[in-house]
Amino acid sequence: MSARELERAIEVALTGGVALSGLLLVAGLALGAPGPLWWGVLLLILTPVVRVVVVTIGLILDHDWLFSAVSLFVLAVLLSSVYVAGRI
Amino acid sequence: MIGISSVVLILMGAGTGLVGALLGLGGGVFLVPLLTLALGVPIRTAIAASLISVIATASASSTINLERGLVNMRLGMALEVATTLGGLTGGLIAVALTQRQLFLVFGATLALMGVVMASRSGRRNVIADENVEPGRLGGRLREGDQAYVYRMRRLPLGLVASLVAGAISGLLGLGGGIIKVPVLNAFCGIPIRVAAATSAFMIGVTGAASAFIYFGRGDVALPLTAAVAIGALPGSLLGARLSHRVEARSLKLIMAVVLLVVGGRMALEAL
Repeated sequence: MSARELERAIEVALTGGVALSGLLLVAGLALGAPGPLWWGVLLLILTPVVRVVVVTIGLILDHDWLFSAVSLFVLAVLLSSVYVAGRI
Repeated sequence: MIGISSVVLILMGAGTGLVGALLGLGGGVFLVPLLTLALGVPIRTAIAASLISVIATASASSTINLERGLVNMRLGMALEVATTLGGLTGGLIAVALTQRQLFLVFGATLALMGVVMASRSGRRNVIADENVEPGRLGGRLREGDQAYVYRMRRLPLGLVASLVAGAISGLLGLGGGIIKVPVLNAFCGIPIRVAAATSAFMIGVTGAASAFIYFGRGDVALPLTAAVAIGALPGSLLGARLSHRVEARSLKLIMAVVLLVVGGRMALEAL
């Protein structure tokens, strides 16, 4: 995977996540419905996490083990945040 | 039907998103004071809304910065190790300090950063010789017909700044760019545009680390947060496009003034 291809994949992940969450938030506000708002906010928070997953996969495919490990560490911190959020 | 209050919040999100993306700071620097001081929103609710808005802003503007080749992805990932740890820690200790203490510490920090930025605004951190090796965390930058090389210096300092930026993100709902961009530019050899774009690239991930905690605790007011985030999206995209036209030296001076003004205002809150 070339650097440009990885950047393109990240752009798609970020644009897709933001667009979909934006639609849910607009729908939730327009309808006064908490369901789409809840999912829209959650999807927005998850969008950067998906971006980290995409980068990690790209780097593993590229056999860049040092930065794959760095990216996996970042992912682990994010997942531990989800775990902590569920405990407090 | 979207009410008038939602329209005001959307406009507020748009304005802060625009300025945040323009300066590479994230809109939270302006949004939290606006929500708390102008609208009387509880600070914890404002911080949570700001964090979500900052994630939207950073994610949207990063797509443009990636297209322009301004994001140094490996540098961003290396520093994200520190920003996410800081974000998680900041979210957890948010309740330990009083708001007065927080306002005072951050007000002083922002003002100090503004002074550093203003005093070093004339420096260029690039090497004109294209054949110089940039290293794993450096890169190449093209401005018009001229290509430049830059190298990352003082990585430990960059990591410490990123840790502090992450903690501030979790504590006050700021993106953290207000700390990272000046340090990366003034001390680590990263050109201002690359520093701002790479910072925005990290801000989404940093914000997510602490946003999960606010979301899990039920501190996210859904309609308010949704309205602000919806406004922040077009605002941040416009800001990222306009930032391309702002001269690098002007960008530094604008940021210095912003840091001083916001820092002073925050410090006043502690009195």
